[in-house]
Amino acid sequence: MMKDTELNRRDVLKSAGALGAAGMVGLAGCSGSGGGGGGPVEVLHGWTGGDGATAAEALEEAFNEEYPDTELDMNPIGGGGNQNLDAVVANRLQNDNPPGAFANWPGPNLARYEGVLGDVSDLWEETGFTDSHVDEAVDLHQYNGAFRAVPLGSHRLNCLFYNTSVVEEAGVDPSSLNSVSALVDALETVASETDKIPMTHGASGTWTTTQLFGVTLLGSAGYDEYMNFVEGNPSEDAVRSAFESLATILENYINDDAASIGLTESNQNIIQGEAAFIHQGNWAAGAYRNAEDFEYESDWGFKTFPGTEGMYTLHFDSFLFPSNNPTPENTRTWLEFVGGEAAQVAFNQYKGSIPTRTDVDMSEFGPYLQQTAEDFADADERPPNIQHGLGITADQRSTLNDVISSEFSGPYNVDAATQGFVDAVSN
Amino acid sequence: MRDILSSVRQRLRRVARATRTSGDAGHGGEDGTDANGGGDPTLDDGAVVTDGGTAAGSDGIVDRLDDRFGDDFTESAPFWLPPFLLVGLFVYGAIAWNFVISLTDYKGFVGPDYSDLDFEMYVRAINDSGVIDATVNTFLLVVAFTAVALAFGLALAILIDRNIRFENTFRTIYLLPMSLSFVVTAQFWLWMYNYNNGVVNIVLGTVGVGPIDWIGNSSLVLWAVVFALVWQFSGYTMVVYLAGLRAIPTEHYEAARVDGASTLKMYWRVIIPQLKGSTISAAIVLMVFALKAFDFLYSLVSGYRPPNGADILATKMVREAYSTNNWAYASAIAIILFLMALSIIGPYLYYEYQQGNL
Repeated sequence: MMKDTELNRRDVLKSAGALGAAGMVGLAGCSGSGGGGGGPVEVLHGWTGGDGATAAEALEEAFNEEYPDTELDMNPIGGGGNQNLDAVVANRLQNDNPPGAFANWPGPNLARYEGVLGDVSDLWEETGFTDSHVDEAVDLHQYNGAFRAVPLGSHRLNCLFYNTSVVEEAGVDPSSLNSVSALVDALETVASETDKIPMTHGASGTWTTTQLFGVTLLGSAGYDEYMNFVEGNPSEDAVRSAFESLATILENYINDDAASIGLTESNQNIIQGEAAFIHQGNWAAGAYRNAEDFEYESDWGFKTFPGTEGMYTLHFDSFLFPSNNPTPENTRTWLEFVGGEAAQVAFNQYKGSIPTRTDVDMSEFGPYLQQTAEDFADADERPPNIQHGLGITADQRSTLNDVISSEFSGPYNVDAATQGFVDAVSN
Repeated sequence: MRDILSSVRQRLRRVARATRTSGDAGHGGEDGTDANGGGDPTLDDGAVVTDGGTAAGSDGIVDRLDDRFGDDFTESAPFWLPPFLLVGLFVYGAIAWNFVISLTDYKGFVGPDYSDLDFEMYVRAINDSGVIDATVNTFLLVVAFTAVALAFGLALAILIDRNIRFENTFRTIYLLPMSLSFVVTAQFWLWMYNYNNGVVNIVLGTVGVGPIDWIGNSSLVLWAVVFALVWQFSGYTMVVYLAGLRAIPTEHYEAARVDGASTLKMYWRVIIPQLKGSTISAAIVLMVFALKAFDFLYSLVSGYRPPNGADILATKMVREAYSTNNWAYASAIAIILFLMALSIIGPYLYYEYQQGNL
């Protein structure tokens, strides 16, 4: 009897061990091959907070209204800017388990997804997107001779926002600033006339500084030199003089705690009247709209970044189309919707961006965005940005940020930063 | 006395078993090559029942395995084999695969090419000033954090061990930070280090120092991070040391006293030398935590690009992998980090082996 139970116990253990091993192997097998079939379109995006979340909800609602028969599965992945979203997308693409579509930037940024993006050229033709969207969008959504993505909206990057009462207190007229040196003079005036921060900067990430470099280069060296930089023939003198202006600003006129705050806290300085100016993309204006008693023109204002008048630095939020798509037909429906008027109106009015279509009725947008859309339509030049994917590749962007981190986050080494930037983008 | 008893018992058991095994395998001849000696069914059955079930029919292999690895090698296989295989596959298999990937040029999303393996990525890493800085920072972080946390924990443990009032309360207070997640502590240290309104600068300001830009100054930020980590983990070190102190018999204190040692001398000459075991085990845990400081730095800046001067290999690795999809290069950095961890754990395991603990 005793012997029998002992045998049984051992048998049980053996089979339990075997089952456990089989189970683990089975699990490992499963995680690689999820999805399949023609179910709901799975869409990954990073709009999880504030106006982004509201905009994404509006987008989902508009889709369900227009395409009640197509199921939509929106998956927001927030955190770390778009870092977490990018990491999830990267893992899923690597495991050959792509979502239906995911939010990212077009342009040279598409190079990082080489080999895993599908072709939606026929969609662009059929829907007439090639005619209804601005030319830059048509160009930047192609990679290796085919369309890979569809744009949803556009933010503007060459913006200078200010707190009206602070600039008035300092006696500065923002609309008169038409060069980077005029901006530096204005910052000096704010510093000497008031006890406010002349220019607030959140540098806990390097991207804000890289972005500020981009607009300073555009403002000080002009469109042609900027495009030379983006296209890989940078002029060292132009880059150096941009860095010199930038060093002047960062050394003298920004908040002391820049290194320990990010964009959100930095933008709070404008809202609370602690700072005069901030450079950001116009997503910053979303925070002003959500702030109480903080109105456009009476409390805050917008000026094209000095020296970039008549230009609109481009940014696109787009949905990319992975090849080996789990739901090819439904994803096409989604992309067709994204590039259409209903989606662009629903999303952009809350997101604080503007449609990339040229035929959209702007009456539902506030006065600030209406003005932005006018500037967009009338712009002489629409240069691509460097920090948000449109001008340079992800590799180059990463190198630029390495350089900013090691050479230009205080103390500011103009020579090393210039050399690093020129080397990074040169062909 | 008890040791002798147990070793005698063990030897007796082994002798009994040896006679039994030679009993059922021995008939086929001592040379063992034509040892299908267990072929006699009755004997075989007997072996299964009495010996508790080595599989019948493959006695030759089983016995040879048992001879080689100890006499309950196959018998205990159901216990250790499944976890052994799982750990082998998911830990060591993954490390090996990671190493192979680091030899390729894998980048982007078109799968790696295993036909062309070389050490190019390691050469690139050696020439990359970013990797060198990150390696130095990782090393400094591990060494400084471990040393300071040990010293601080020891001091706290000795103070608490001196029969003070509210001993348990103090112990809880010191241990509490350990229970908080890195995500929380990083955020509030970020606030405390703020240049304008951080409590650290306010306190320093009252004695006329500062303000100091802790996060923005590339030569200070690593030490600011070390300080925050020490604050979080010295409570843990304290508990380990406290357990070590409690294990030291009071006679040792009394004997030192009788011999006329001062308090300082007593601790330095008598007590601290007996805490070697606690020191080693606490140091290992602290070092491993230091290598995991990724979470802290990630939360500090909400991203994997830490402030200039605080980049470590873990953040550099994730950045290479996910911001530019340089998988092979990231794998090479991972191997470097792995070797650093191994150089900490390896000597410890050897030490334990020497002591007969493994």
